[in-house]
Amino acid sequence: MSAITAEPPASTGQAHHPEVGFFHKYIWTYDHKMIGIQYLWTALFFLLVGGGLALLVRYQLAWPNTPVPLIGQFLPATVASDGAIIPGGYNMLVTMHATLMVFFVVMPLLIGTFGNFLIPLQIGAGDMAFPLLNELSYWLYVVSGFLILAAFFAPGGAPGTGWTAYAPLSAEAKYNGTQMGQSLWGIAIFVNGLSSIAGATNYITTVVNMRAPGMTMFRMPLTVWSLFITAILLVLAVPVLSAAAAMLFCDLNMGTSFFKPAGGGQPLLWQHLFWFFGHPEVYILILPAMGLVSEIIAVFARKPIFGYKAMVYAMIAIGFLGFIVWGHHMFVSGMNLTLSATFSVSTMFIAVPSAIKTFNWMGTVWRGSIEFTTAMCFALAFVTMFVIGGLSGIFMASTPVDLFVHHTYFIVAHFHYVIFGGSILAIFGALYFWFPKMFGCMLNETLGKVHFFLTFIFFNLAFFPMHNLGLGGMMRRIADPTVYEHLRQLQPLNQISTIGAMGLGFTTFIFLGNIIITLWNRKSHPAPDNPWHANTLEWTVPSPPGHGNFPVTPTVYHGPYEYSVPGLDKDYLPQTEPAPAHVKLEAH
Amino acid sequence: MKFLLRLLPVLAFGLSPALAEQYNNLYWAPPNVTVGGEEIDKILNFIFWLTLLVFIATQAVYITYLVKYRRRPGVKAHYSHGNNKLEIIWTTIPVLIFLGLAIYSNRVWKELFRNPPPDALQVNISSYQFGWDFRYPGADGKLGEVEVKGITAENKFGVKADDPAAADDFTATELVFPAGKPVHIILNARDVIHSFYVPSFRLYQDAVPGRTISWVWFEVKEPINLELACSQLCGKGHYNMKAPIRVLSQEDYDKWFDGKVKAAAQARAMDDEKSLHAAAN
Ligand code: HEM
Ligand SMILES: [Cu+2]
Ligand SMILES: [Cu+2]
Repeated sequence: MSAITAEPPASTGQAHHPEVGFFHKYIWTYDHKMIGIQYLWTALFFLLVGGGLALLVRYQLAWPNTPVPLIGQFLPATVASDGAIIPGGYNMLVTMHATLMVFFVVMPLLIGTFGNFLIPLQIGAGDMAFPLLNELSYWLYVVSGFLILAAFFAPGGAPGTGWTAYAPLSAEAKYNGTQMGQSLWGIAIFVNGLSSIAGATNYITTVVNMRAPGMTMFRMPLTVWSLFITAILLVLAVPVLSAAAAMLFCDLNMGTSFFKPAGGGQPLLWQHLFWFFGHPEVYILILPAMGLVSEIIAVFARKPIFGYKAMVYAMIAIGFLGFIVWGHHMFVSGMNLTLSATFSVSTMFIAVPSAIKTFNWMGTVWRGSIEFTTAMCFALAFVTMFVIGGLSGIFMASTPVDLFVHHTYFIVAHFHYVIFGGSILAIFGALYFWFPKMFGCMLNETLGKVHFFLTFIFFNLAFFPMHNLGLGGMMRRIADPTVYEHLRQLQPLNQISTIGAMGLGFTTFIFLGNIIITLWNRKSHPAPDNPWHANTLEWTVPSPPGHGNFPVTPTVYHGPYEYSVPGLDKDYLPQTEPAPAHVKLEAH
Repeated sequence: MKFLLRLLPVLAFGLSPALAEQYNNLYWAPPNVTVGGEEIDKILNFIFWLTLLVFIATQAVYITYLVKYRRRPGVKAHYSHGNNKLEIIWTTIPVLIFLGLAIYSNRVWKELFRNPPPDALQVNISSYQFGWDFRYPGADGKLGEVEVKGITAENKFGVKADDPAAADDFTATELVFPAGKPVHIILNARDVIHSFYVPSFRLYQDAVPGRTISWVWFEVKEPINLELACSQLCGKGHYNMKAPIRVLSQEDYDKWFDGKVKAAAQARAMDDEKSLHAAAN
């Protein structure tokens, strides 16, 4: 058991809260649950925008230079001409797609939505430590969202230098032709970073100081652990990106030469700064997903998490190792070759904790009593997709193989398996799981299953062939593969992938439809307090919980995963219920 | 439904290899043509079979559990928080495997980047938005040295003015060299980062402005025509930034070389004449 014991949180004061008006309930709110929901709607909006951009990209790759059906003629002149996507416009689409998905969809969903909603509820606190900072963090995110979207309307158009914005292309207007768009990108990333740092500071403070009595560190749900470690990664990594973005802005607009060789700057400095942030960032995108999935799998397998502490230590190890592997993005960047060899070794080792986690998930379903709810299907599929993404990472971690596949579609396949197959599937699962707590009503399970199966099929159809495209020699970020003779034979793969992507786009509307229908008649399928018979604290309060969360500060008696304890009538034991005298809980 | 769950991965993963058979190649990869490239293919294959094995083994166990331990009335889950011995085993095994892989990879990496042989043909490659320039040593077989800071609009290659070896160098807009002979490239970029990428060579290397990359060399076994691609996003014309690669027999190469040397000598003579005229006027 941990030596850290929790102080009781300050009075949660549910009793006398006057009814608040619309503005203070939905727009400027200090309630962490509502802030989480604000993040949810905003990020789902960006998911639609980012997904639309991806479909345009895929359309162009499958059927290059043919007018985009339906929407082609509505595209701005910087992106398309006569309805067909032009090369410069293609670069903008790829850049904006990736930037939106990473900073405006996956991070806000995992960290903004679930971090805000779950942390106070799962540790027994009335709210976050700094509610005002919390709301500020949300609105900074919204501001950064406007800034990034504004780039589309800037003279010259949106930035087209990739989400990685390699200098000096990104740093000199004469090379990229989108001074304003690229500058807006830099400012948006900077403001978005402020939002992340504000949120992360809040999470760390809340987890350290506001746990309910009895909620020791090693009694925290893995979701909270994952978000806590993620928050630490955020405060360490994001400032580096913010600094780099500010330097880029100065290079673009103020005549400095941080990254411009003509003025004595170093193009590789940008890459080192970007990837020093960028690698921890990819783990920022997966750790909370691992936490959410662990929770769901334990609940629907009706089993304690196999190796709870191993899971925690593995996440800590990932967090630590994540800071010493950034060079694997730069094996062939012109960096010293011995450095590449060193980074290759550390990269191999970062796969170890991921393997440990996979084995522990398998251990958790072993001898369970598995119920295949939609949430569980997504969580189970997460594990398989994450294994594929992790295994493809090993190819690239091997320097000689990376010499062949670097910057090809193989990399694109890899990170979509971990980010879509991993993070996004986890987010879908978590939404089915916590929707009842958020909104007080249950999503439709039949539509949910349809959503799950179609997502699973179309996802693999869209992304598996990308491995072969990459090995076939197709580069990332090229507007038209058919200009190369050796890539022309790969066109069928590009078309299969695009069909899969279109299917995914279509399937998203089933999901949104499910949400809308459910919220529309929310009275007809109300959620009980604890629909899944789960142990964590959020299920001990009404759905949705009232202001201040807990009428009385809860006391925690044991860990969050006491499922199927022998000698108990029910197969779960909420954290607020002490085990009866005749029942012995296993140490973990 | 559970049956479907099992069927899906099989379908998804069966698809790509099945299509690939048409091309007689599991990965759809273009055949390797360089001397060291097999080593990369070997390690790629090794990792492929290793990871396939791991994938099949873990998924077989996983799916078996999912089917076997699905909810059944009256059957309670087993209560267990884990097993430390198992944790140690499944931590140690991956550590050993990855350690082995890291050692294997680094050995090949070192081999690939050993110093180029002294008799290698040196070619200076200068990349720009959006194309490639190539510079070859002339009859003296020696390439004039490059000085990155000296790269200007007139001196595209940044050739050191006082280097006598540079006098007879000639330039081309395609990469031409003989099969069976090591080629050592000196890689520069004039504006933004580009990259030298030839999948059939199993080779990728960024060209960074402000730096000279001088550690890349390769040897192609047979004559072949290929395309050099830029694989680092470099602006609007990036997708079409390519140059022909012609690997010739020694004989054909010698012919091409002689023609180039003669043409270059003529061009220089004309230049000299012009400047003489200019001086006379
Ligand atoms: C299992 C361990 C993993 C290993 C060994 C690994 C290895 C690598 C390597 C070596 C690269 C660089 C490849 C190249 O550019 O040539 C890479 C790229 C990438 N990885 Fe992973 N990875 C792992 C897990 C993850 C996870 C969990 C995520 C995110 C959720 C992730 C996201 C990415 C992304 C986004 C890129 C590409 C970045 C870019 O160039 O745009 N990876 N990975
Ligand atoms: Cu990385
Ligand atoms: Cu280029």
